Amino acid sequence: MSFHHLDQFAHVGSAVTRVPPAGRLVGTVVLALAVATLPPGAWSQLGFLALLSLALLAIARIPPAVVLARLAWPLGFVLLASAALLVVIPGDPVVRLGPLTLTAQGADRFAAVMGRAMVALLPAVLLVSTTGFPELLQGLRDLRVPIAVATALGLAYRLLYLTVDELERLQRAARSRNAGGGAARRRHLVAAMAGATLGRAFVRAERTHAAMLARGFRGTLPLLHVTPWTAGAALNLVGVCGLALAVAASARLP
Amino acid sequence: MAHIPDGFLSVPVLAGTATASVAALATAARRSRATLGEREGPVLGAVTAFVFAAQMLNFPLGIGASAHLLGGALVAVLLGPWAGMLVLFAVLLVQALLFQDGGIAALGANTLNLAVLGVGSAYVVYRMCRLAFGDAPRATVAAAAVAAWVSTVLVGLAVASELALSGLVPWRPALVLVGGGHVLIATAEAVLTGLIVGFVLRTRPELLPTRTSRATAVPAFAMAGAALVVVVLAIALASSQADVLEALLERLRSADAPAFAGPPAAPFADYVSPVGGAWVAGAVGLLAAFVVAWGMVLAVARRRS
Repeated sequence: MSFHHLDQFAHVGSAVTRVPPAGRLVGTVVLALAVATLPPGAWSQLGFLALLSLALLAIARIPPAVVLARLAWPLGFVLLASAALLVVIPGDPVVRLGPLTLTAQGADRFAAVMGRAMVALLPAVLLVSTTGFPELLQGLRDLRVPIAVATALGLAYRLLYLTVDELERLQRAARSRNAGGGAARRRHLVAAMAGATLGRAFVRAERTHAAMLARGFRGTLPLLHVTPWTAGAALNLVGVCGLALAVAASARLP
Repeated sequence: MAHIPDGFLSVPVLAGTATASVAALATAARRSRATLGEREGPVLGAVTAFVFAAQMLNFPLGIGASAHLLGGALVAVLLGPWAGMLVLFAVLLVQALLFQDGGIAALGANTLNLAVLGVGSAYVVYRMCRLAFGDAPRATVAAAAVAAWVSTVLVGLAVASELALSGLVPWRPALVLVGGGHVLIATAEAVLTGLIVGFVLRTRPELLPTRTSRATAVPAFAMAGAALVVVVLAIALASSQADVLEALLERLRSADAPAFAGPPAAPFADYVSPVGGAWVAGAVGLLAAFVVAWGMVLAVARRRS
């Protein structure tokens, strides 16, 4: 199991990847915030921010099919979560479906939430498509995320594949012995597998840590490739962030 | 819907939850170093990887549906509140950045709900149950299960409160739909957490700290207690004095989202209506179910220990 499909375009050089990872993270957060804080009804601003995000995706040379594939799952979740808005918001009834009443106000709010959620996903897709996990970690560390979280993430990234492999081995062993049966027995089986995986993850982590200490580990994981800040990259980042914030602010002008 | 996507919350809620999360995580980072010390890196890494892996396991509910572990209570039991919060934050961060599971702008709210409130309240309940039930293995399992149930329901109530405070959904449907949904999730979480803790106790008991130091317990009690009081007050206010809260929300809302202004219309305006009645009945039922479950667990734990 691996995450390599996530950052398969991280090595594609572009104006986006020339910005150091910390800058990319800041840009993503600013864009997502600009979209998420738009008041309902600010459709032109939402459209502009969507175009800005799509332009950045095009500059980073991420194929549209990849963007769509990455949007599919989170969009489905957002759709499911916001569909309830159609019927729980009181207001003028439009359609009656049995006990449920679809209201005009509900539809308005549903459209506003769906629009914002959809556009806010684009900068996240841009980040994950252009930034490999080690780079992302470096960015988080540069942004002063607690060192414990950064180290935990770094080690978890290395341990995750091993832990999942361990879990798959346990599942395979259980299947080959016809374990399971009814739901109650499967519940016990799942819990036992999770417990066994936890024990093995601890053992592996302690062994790995001892090996790291033996090799001179001093609390931080070094990065082999560091993207330096350049004037051009900084200007691009400031430009994009400034534009996004200006658009978000314009939606709140009287 | 434990992970709130972007676009659902208002600016004041986003800002408030983000500030609270940053403050809590800063404390957690300091405290976890004090408790775990040198072992911090490998232990947090292992548990973070484990939570990711465990969330891939489907847990059959027996009604054709399945759930997966959230892990807040389990990490609280294994690592204590502070390191547990950091682990769940690491998981949420990766879910938001890499998998778009939960919004990036809403990360503050999701961290407050799942990492701070989820882990903190689970730890407080776990500690209280250990004090009440004692240290026998059965009592530990029961305490972990009760902690998982309570903390998951609290997470649901927090999510519902944030959606309602954002002016997105009126209070009652938010509490009924999101809070009620989490009561179901909480039951699965409680069973799964109890079973896993039971398995760990049988096979690798050294992974579970038998006694956590008083120094860690007191601030955790204080913080999660404060969060609990806020949630309970919000619910009490929403149910008993809906008009006061609605007036307050009206003022908040008119500053932020003009299109959402206007008091919630007729169906939720008074208590005679079926929705209000159903909500009150739901709340009473929830409380009664919890009291009964608590009593049963207490009885079982006393008998076995």
